[in-house]
Amino acid sequence: MLEQLLIFTRGGLILWTCKEIGNALKGSPIDTLIRSCLLEERSGEVSFNYGAYTLKWTFHNDLGLVFVAVYQRILQLLYVDDLLCMVKESFSEVYDPKVMSYDEFDERFRQLRMEAEARGEEMRKVKVKVKPLNGVKKQGKVLKPEGGNKKESDGDGGDGGDEVKGNVSSLTNGNHKMEDDDDCVVNGKENSGGDDNNVGVDVSKLAKLRSKGVRGRGGLRKAESVGSNKGSSKVEPPKKATKKNRVWDDAAPKQQEKLDFTDSVDENGGNDSVEVAADQGESMMDKEEVLSSESESDDDEQRSDEKPEAKKKGWFSSVFQSITGKANLERTDLEPALKALKERLMTKNVAEEIAEKLCESVEASLEGKKLASFTRISSTVQGAMEEALIRILTPRRSIDIMRDVHAAKEQRRPYVVVFVGVNGVGKSTNLAKVAYWLQQHKVSVMMAACDTFRSGAVEQLRTHARRLQIPIFEKGYEKDPAVVAKEAIQEATRNGSDVVLVDTAGRMQDNEPLMRALSKLINLNKPDLVLFVGEALVGNDAVDQLSKFNQKLSDLSTSGNSRLIDGILLTKFDTIDDKVGAALSMVYISGAPVMFVGCGQSYTDLKQLNVKAIVKTLLK
Amino acid sequence: MEKNLEDLRIVAEQWWNQGIEFARQIPQDQLYAAIGVLLFTTIFFFFFFFSIRLFRRTKSNTVLLSGLSGSGKTVLFYQLRDGSSHQGSVTSMEPNEGTFVLHAENTRKTKPVHLVDVPGHSRLRSKLEEYLPRAAAIVFVVDALEFLPNCRAASEYLYDILTNASVVKNKIPVLLCCNKTDKITAHTKEFIRKQMEKEIEKLRVSRSAVSTADIANDLTLGVEGEVFSFSHCLNKVTVAEASGITGETEQVQEFIREYVKP
Repeated sequence: MLEQLLIFTRGGLILWTCKEIGNALKGSPIDTLIRSCLLEERSGEVSFNYGAYTLKWTFHNDLGLVFVAVYQRILQLLYVDDLLCMVKESFSEVYDPKVMSYDEFDERFRQLRMEAEARGEEMRKVKVKVKPLNGVKKQGKVLKPEGGNKKESDGDGGDGGDEVKGNVSSLTNGNHKMEDDDDCVVNGKENSGGDDNNVGVDVSKLAKLRSKGVRGRGGLRKAESVGSNKGSSKVEPPKKATKKNRVWDDAAPKQQEKLDFTDSVDENGGNDSVEVAADQGESMMDKEEVLSSESESDDDEQRSDEKPEAKKKGWFSSVFQSITGKANLERTDLEPALKALKERLMTKNVAEEIAEKLCESVEASLEGKKLASFTRISSTVQGAMEEALIRILTPRRSIDIMRDVHAAKEQRRPYVVVFVGVNGVGKSTNLAKVAYWLQQHKVSVMMAACDTFRSGAVEQLRTHARRLQIPIFEKGYEKDPAVVAKEAIQEATRNGSDVVLVDTAGRMQDNEPLMRALSKLINLNKPDLVLFVGEALVGNDAVDQLSKFNQKLSDLSTSGNSRLIDGILLTKFDTIDDKVGAALSMVYISGAPVMFVGCGQSYTDLKQLNVKAIVKTLLK
Repeated sequence: MEKNLEDLRIVAEQWWNQGIEFARQIPQDQLYAAIGVLLFTTIFFFFFFFSIRLFRRTKSNTVLLSGLSGSGKTVLFYQLRDGSSHQGSVTSMEPNEGTFVLHAENTRKTKPVHLVDVPGHSRLRSKLEEYLPRAAAIVFVVDALEFLPNCRAASEYLYDILTNASVVKNKIPVLLCCNKTDKITAHTKEFIRKQMEKEIEKLRVSRSAVSTADIANDLTLGVEGEVFSFSHCLNKVTVAEASGITGETEQVQEFIREYVKP
């Protein structure tokens, strides 16, 4: 059964709840949903689990409303998506920003619920039939211009068992939709090129045919623009129709010449042919070059990505639109801008998975919103992304270690920091840097050499300790690191050290026995801070490393509440120039803040992350 | 290439000629009148936008509601606006903004207040900075019921506000509003003030240590060498009690009216 259905504004005011159901929810699932899902840029996901509940949500971005449905996780409610969508539609009709209570909506909701329940029941009954039916439905929705993600997922809300799967497929469907469209267009164009070859006779080689195909397209554009010049404001006529015209046009050689020239201007004048190149793939060398050079010179011309989609529609219409403001942003409008943005993020070394998720989330937050006057879609999308990035990178918890150290000091116990990470990322080096920094601020530090695995590790740490005049606790090799750490902490408590920095052996995230040892170390010693050391050079692997570390730590923990990674130390930051994406990937996947940034070889090269600078670099 | 340019030129010329011809057909006075209207509207619009900006900057009536997530800012906001908390609230994702005359006041002869409820979630902290430069006063809401577990986080947030450049520069007054005092187990405002002073004192030590490595502001709070007290701040910090749910917000209203004169 449905536990609760809420409608609230993004500002946080509850507008309507289903009083009829009226069950008090255990805990605060809604707040948790907002805090750990919607505000973490994970709103592109399908559902959220909290305790025994599953929550589903949908946004009405234009009105700034959020609709959340809560139900028991064990129940497979087939109609929830459908119901949410229906509620959204009918509530947006009655919504008025000045009105705060909607008691009269009760009746309407009851109807909607009955309807949805009935439909859900029906679906369950004819489950076998549902699947093909579903496919049809999905397609129908895709074809609709406003066929949003949510709606699609509604479509296959029917097959409860593999609901998630269905959603995923529909999602990808949605994503590919554009490309498919483009493909057909391109194909059509090539065909038309072929036709005009048949008519025009003189060209026979394949390469030429291809180039003509494109030229033909350029010509088509010109034809369009001429058409619009002549007074008809129809700037985007159904392309295929014009295309057919094109074929006939080409038959007349005079016009073809003319059109050829316009084409070259087009090429020089704008990047509007770039998208074509992307779709046509291997076909043309020079086009490819244009594309690749653009992706390389991405940093130099930061606007270059925006050009194609801005220019895709006629100049007049885009100017007109930018002045009047567009009615409502649709998925198809956002697609090109988001695609460009995703590419840009990926060139900055953001893991692909993360870039994808972020774009989905931004899309969910913008869909249906009104575009303000004098703005372009690309700039709106960029603004939304910037906000999202700042939100992600802003630490959730305090990263003021000094403060925590002092608090621990008052309790007369050492503050324990454990450095974990894969091999060769610079754990020991950065441990020494942190030690130096703490020492500078009159905190007595002790090092614990718990890397009892790699030969030379203890000696390396001992060298650092000697240079910094810091006591070191070591027990040689072949000892259990957990025990060594424990003894080190006891020792620190005895001699009154404020901070114990525990160095551990580097381990790959898939190495089960070593991860088990790490988990034991952390569970036994209960450190105040588990610092994941990761190198900024890492790309897609960042996601794997952090998620596996977190996963293993929680899986292998013996006690109920497991310790996860609390913070990130990003090393080798000086070697990556503007490819700062690893910072974003790591923070997004773990939710832990970047506490330090290692940016050089000497002891002083330790900084804090400048969120604004990172965001700027990412979007540059 | 050249032909192409030529082509364009011809088209442009044609247009130009057409345009001139069309202009000639229109009677002179009509043309002048049209130009006049155009000029007037553009100037008017510019003036309009500009004056709005100017007006806002000079006489700020913006009051910010800040504080940790879950301290009751949104409820307080709606209490001040409508005199009712409606059906409760959930964690805010966006600021609530409104320009209105406080609910308890006489609608006439009072200046409306621009009240902004900034979400308290730490991810949304950066929003506050956007509003701080034009704030006339800040109400910092603290949950008096669940005070001790949140004491450190709240103090840190308050410390950030108090050391913010524009707060110090404009000497924006801050009201420490202890919310949820209708509950019996709620802490008193004196207790909360003392605890927060203590926490800020600790922060002062640790933050001054960090600042060498940090890029953040290097403003120091309070008087060197003395234990921190809110009275040391350049801006005025006062303490008040309120209860958002029951609607006891008189002290907050007084505070707001002190700085946004009717």
